[in-house]
Amino acid sequence: MARLHFLKSGLQTTIQDLGRQGVQDLGIPINGAMDKASAKLANQLVGNDANSPVLEITLLGPKIQFEGPCQIAITGANLSVEINGNTIPLFITINIDHGDVLSFGKPVTDCRAYLAINGKWDVQSWLGSCSASATNTAQTTPDSIIVKDQILEIIRGKEQPIIAISESERPSISIEAPIKVYPGPEFEAFSAVEKQCFFGDRFTIGQDSNRMGYRLKEALKGYSKKEEVISSGVIPGTVQITNSGQPIVLMADAQTTGGYPRIANVSSTDLDRLAQFKPGDIVRFELIGFK
Amino acid sequence: MKIVRFGDSALLVNFEQKINKAINNQVLLLYKQLQKVKEVTFLIPAYCSLTVGFSENTSFKTLSKQIEELNSKIQSKDLELNSKIIEIPVCYETPYALDMGEVKEKTGLNAQEIIKIHSQENYKVYMLGFVAGFAYLGSLPKQLFCPRKTEPRKEVLAGSVGLAGLQTGIYPANAPGGWQIIGRTPIPTFNPKADNPTLFKAGDAVKFKSISSSEFEEIETQVFSGKFNLEEYYG
Repeated sequence: MARLHFLKSGLQTTIQDLGRQGVQDLGIPINGAMDKASAKLANQLVGNDANSPVLEITLLGPKIQFEGPCQIAITGANLSVEINGNTIPLFITINIDHGDVLSFGKPVTDCRAYLAINGKWDVQSWLGSCSASATNTAQTTPDSIIVKDQILEIIRGKEQPIIAISESERPSISIEAPIKVYPGPEFEAFSAVEKQCFFGDRFTIGQDSNRMGYRLKEALKGYSKKEEVISSGVIPGTVQITNSGQPIVLMADAQTTGGYPRIANVSSTDLDRLAQFKPGDIVRFELIGFK
Repeated sequence: MKIVRFGDSALLVNFEQKINKAINNQVLLLYKQLQKVKEVTFLIPAYCSLTVGFSENTSFKTLSKQIEELNSKIQSKDLELNSKIIEIPVCYETPYALDMGEVKEKTGLNAQEIIKIHSQENYKVYMLGFVAGFAYLGSLPKQLFCPRKTEPRKEVLAGSVGLAGLQTGIYPANAPGGWQIIGRTPIPTFNPKADNPTLFKAGDAVKFKSISSSEFEEIETQVFSGKFNLEEYYG
């Protein structure tokens, strides 16, 4: 058994896996890691299944004291990770000794880091997933939103050989390249000028963006309000245009239905990359066709 | 029926874009058929559309063809879904009927008329959405048509019964919302610990029953003390 003692919780540290798919007919969001590629890689480095829980660490990370040895790996954003004050590399299996203190410093690049730990996590699962649920959190996934002084217990797995993922093999988390999107169900309801704006303009990720959705600050120029869509399904990656012309990109914790026109859907690969954008970052969209 | 792509791992089946029972029945019958398809990862039945998530073990083309076939086999005689009527006790009095004044003004009806009309109809659960377990019920008799509030409330309490256009619904948990609140039910409609966490499923039939504030408090006390048993209540 390894125990993690959270000396600091960090800004927003949550337990996530690949989400609770299959209950959306009840109105329950999918949830799960925002950047699934990075979460899967972290688990791979410690020998866990792809759907095992990880800690999703946002911008300002926690401070964790380990009781008992274990193996960890951190992927995703570079948030200046140190063990006992010494910088450690990302994308590699790391052996932790009893008493080690893992801390996070200044965010260097990107937004979300993923910490995997070899073994079985002693956390509550709800509807097939350990991911933090906004629905009655205290009853459904009580340990999933990390607070100061929380203890997390892991039943250690079989020791793994050290594996590293070279830079060329890592998923691209560049925030420079445009985000690739497919045309959405109401794509044709938008005028040529509105589409041109959507694909030509640069949008700023708003401060009120969160795991439910990224609200973009700039509205489509000269946007004319569309006829309301009869409430219909929305999924992570759906880009809705609100009545004021502002795009909202729905993310992992998105609600399951909505009534705004859906101009586009972000490709699964680029949705992982978009999860690494933070408020204030600039995003551009590029239209791609279906294969 | 028209099938369109919806990102790279979902598709959207659009039926005629209208809110009516027959069209929604088609959605729900196809939804039931697709629950058996193992490549389907999630389903979101709505008023007149069905969102279908799919795994990497199938493709848009293959699944579309399968859906076309399944849909063609659905007979119009199947379109009458069997469902029992779930009766929901509602107290339409203060302090629960927050917007009764505004609804009286907008409909030109008095409170007794509003309660009578609202509680005599059998409603259909067209879909669940917005928040976990929120059932969109319809359609309201036209006399009760009432637009949403101009300024949505930051928090509407769980159990609140509201009107929006020709829809009515029950808030399963405290949530922000702009529906006109005309009463509250003491019955929990969302229980995360249960195997079936939502009281309603799409396709169910719901009827409201007017109760007094003392009846409300009685059931509420049972709920709080953990003595309330949903199965017992519904026999």
